[in-house]
Amino acid sequence: MMAKNRISLEINGEAVEADVRPNRLLSDFLRDDLALTGTKRGCETGVCGACSVLVDGDVVKSCLSLAIQMNGCSLTTVEGLACDGAPSPLQKSFMECGGLQCGYCTPGFLMAASDLLARTSRPDVATIRKNLSGNLCRCTGYQGIVDAILDASEKMHGT
Amino acid sequence: MNAFAPGLPTPQVTSQEKALGRATYAGDLKIAGMLHAKLLRSPHAHARILNVDVSRAIALPGVRAVFTGDDVPQRAWGVKHKQQHVLAREVVRFVGEEIAAVVAIDEDTAEEALDLIRVEYEPLPALIDPSQALEPNAVKVHPGGNLADEIGIVRGDVDSAFAEADIVHEETYTTHSQYPGYMEPMATLATTDGSGKLTVWTATQSVFLARQRLAEALDRPVSTVRVVQPTVGGGFGGKIIEERSSVIAGFLAAATDRPVRLCLSRIDDMLSGAFSVPMKIRLKMGMTRDGRITAKDVSIRADCGAYAGLAPEVMLVTAMRSDNMQRLEHTRSHAQLVYTHTMPRGAFRGFGGTQMAFALNSHLTAMADLAGIDPIELHRQNAIRTGDLSIHGWKIGSCGLPECLNQIEGAIGWTEKRSRPKQRGVLRRGIGMAAAMHVSGNRTMGNWDGSTIVLKVNEDGRVVVLTSEADVGQGSNTMLSQICAHELGVPLSHVSVQTPDTDFTPYCLGSIASRVTINAGKAMIKAAREARETILAAAAEKLGCDAIDLTIEDGVVQSTSNANHFAKLPDICRYHIFRHGGEGIHIKATHDPDTVMMDGDHYGNIAPAYSFAAQAVEVEVDTETGQVRLIESWLSDDCGKAINPLAVHGQSNGAAVQAIGWTLCEELQFEEGRLMNGNLADYTMPTADSVPEMHSSIVESMDPNGPLGAKGASETAILPGAPAIANAVFDAIGVRITDLPITPEKILAAIAAQKEKRDA
Repeated sequence: MMAKNRISLEINGEAVEADVRPNRLLSDFLRDDLALTGTKRGCETGVCGACSVLVDGDVVKSCLSLAIQMNGCSLTTVEGLACDGAPSPLQKSFMECGGLQCGYCTPGFLMAASDLLARTSRPDVATIRKNLSGNLCRCTGYQGIVDAILDASEKMHGT
Repeated sequence: MNAFAPGLPTPQVTSQEKALGRATYAGDLKIAGMLHAKLLRSPHAHARILNVDVSRAIALPGVRAVFTGDDVPQRAWGVKHKQQHVLAREVVRFVGEEIAAVVAIDEDTAEEALDLIRVEYEPLPALIDPSQALEPNAVKVHPGGNLADEIGIVRGDVDSAFAEADIVHEETYTTHSQYPGYMEPMATLATTDGSGKLTVWTATQSVFLARQRLAEALDRPVSTVRVVQPTVGGGFGGKIIEERSSVIAGFLAAATDRPVRLCLSRIDDMLSGAFSVPMKIRLKMGMTRDGRITAKDVSIRADCGAYAGLAPEVMLVTAMRSDNMQRLEHTRSHAQLVYTHTMPRGAFRGFGGTQMAFALNSHLTAMADLAGIDPIELHRQNAIRTGDLSIHGWKIGSCGLPECLNQIEGAIGWTEKRSRPKQRGVLRRGIGMAAAMHVSGNRTMGNWDGSTIVLKVNEDGRVVVLTSEADVGQGSNTMLSQICAHELGVPLSHVSVQTPDTDFTPYCLGSIASRVTINAGKAMIKAAREARETILAAAAEKLGCDAIDLTIEDGVVQSTSNANHFAKLPDICRYHIFRHGGEGIHIKATHDPDTVMMDGDHYGNIAPAYSFAAQAVEVEVDTETGQVRLIESWLSDDCGKAINPLAVHGQSNGAAVQAIGWTLCEELQFEEGRLMNGNLADYTMPTADSVPEMHSSIVESMDPNGPLGAKGASETAILPGAPAIANAVFDAIGVRITDLPITPEKILAAIAAQKEKRDA
């Protein structure tokens, strides 16, 4: 058995201390050790983006990251987007604009969109599509997702 | 007016838990004491299993059990062809076939144990190429030979009809296999509970078909198995009854008498199949000079891989469905399904329709060109119409195909773009179109297509809906909730649809054959109206007035003749319980459509309604790199009535992009039957930045058999994409690609051949 290492980090605003093996994937750590199952496993190769989380504000694929690398970092998962348990404006836009169907890719798209909107308050369609290129959706044809992000950017940052 | 009444765009009723990341999929579930499973797969396309030594794997700390084909029931399972076992016994027939399973305390340990299993194989010659399958000396995949199914259908006098044609055109088309690409790889949690019952939570499109198959494969009574559907991350046909991992998980739980979770990795999922059925289609059609189709002759060779599954039914659709889209009198179809030593192929969104839609629409545009007719005009001229009886006995209660054609024609600027001069530069644009039809429901699955809804109106006036029709993302729970809320007069938020569960929800076939809206929607109307009558009768009694004067709006029962007569729903629902010996309002309604099982000659009105779609696209072809870029896509879907336009547009857009993937960028690469690109980095599905804005429009033909006029939506929309693109490529560069996918290599080779021909 591989020795475990103690890590300290912040997840969704809460301090977390855990003992992890050096090879523990961040996606498995979040899902299996912390029961944060909103983060999904879709490809295990960093292509589909369903496992995306924010690490110190930047979108990161948790299936390509090790838990041990997160020592001292601040993470946001999909569970951390809600405001007092209610959907955030971005989440609301995904719900209302057809930004989700089966919902499996949705957490990843929400994280990618959060990252984009934090850097660019009113992105145009081409910028949105380019910034979603690390995430796959098989249901929506991306149209509802693009519409949702446009809608959210308008509601969050005005016209 | 209810803000989410049928006809108004309505966010999915499941959208909040999905957006919050709180929707629970099978792989998110955990039970105390749960074990994890991993599967060992055959590296050979065809081999005899001589010996499997699991001793070192079992000895690994943390491993609880290892199973092989020797341990599984001898009874074979399958759709009609009973030929599979829980784990392969004696012989493996494709690379990826499961031959052993490890159950351990965690996934890493199970994975490590797989490496410790020693399998001794005797490799055998493999049949990989379907064109060799029926050769006299071909290697046999099954003892009975390599012909899995054969269909022959003849209507009218085809040879005479060809003789009368002014234009006869013949071409061969090949279509490749597409991976469903649902974002959730297959996942199952199964457990026993000491009572003799096996409970299975699995990503399925049909809990009852899943239960039937589990009972058969595990050789135990149906009622000892309970299947529950958690949230499902997409299906597209791949999660009906052909996937095998839920069967293996059920077996492992029963055999270990412990909870076992089996989550396939993406690679595992891609090695398992079943993908769409690849086909070679030879099509010959005759037409008069003025564009009337006189004769159609089709021959098909389809490859189902190692096991038949649903592929015979898929091939039947390819062989005859598209005939019903036009007013034909003379058709002939001959189709053969063959086995190969490759992964099983079967159901996929469109269910055999995409293959023929590609051939037929490529053909019709080519023939329109030969006759000097606009292809949209050719479609319009031959289109079947409302009230027609099709050549195979289908009663067309509504047909919005002409309107779909009108919509796409106007939207893309068809006439203007067709009349522009041919481009000569490196980048050349072209436009193309296609049209298709699909069933809404299908009686051929056991001569029954019914759906049952159970409605419980609680003492607070809110409604619980029990159904086993599966929402796998397409939004059927939202459609049912909208109908229920509308018919009953309660807010949408007061309706909740329960998860399908074979022990608690009524028998249904699930999300297959675009049947849920039309059949469950009808059952829902019936149930909700009956519940409404029950409530109004109780209210009339309590208020001392006539039920006929009462109405329910926004959760309040109100008299239309006396403003003082009103009561809130909770009061009436509580009253009903107290006045009826404790009986709550508990309504059950079933709708089985008035359709017929097709006869031995495949004739008969199998569906209560038929959906239509048309699509026009503009592409830009780079004649130096061979790249095809989609510029515009306009898809029009005749779904009868869009109960939820937001969902219909979403389904159409998703289908259009899935079709783009099949046509341009998704290609499973095999070497000697071995999948070489079984991951999402090398099997490239379209991304947001690789496709343009998707335009979707709706035609409402108001089907007389549909709930509020509605038919199925979503499967029809995947059908026209590939041929529309192929036709646009032809328009752009003058070469026709007849074998999918349309890759840069094929484009460049075709351009080179064209140039050589011109120079010669």
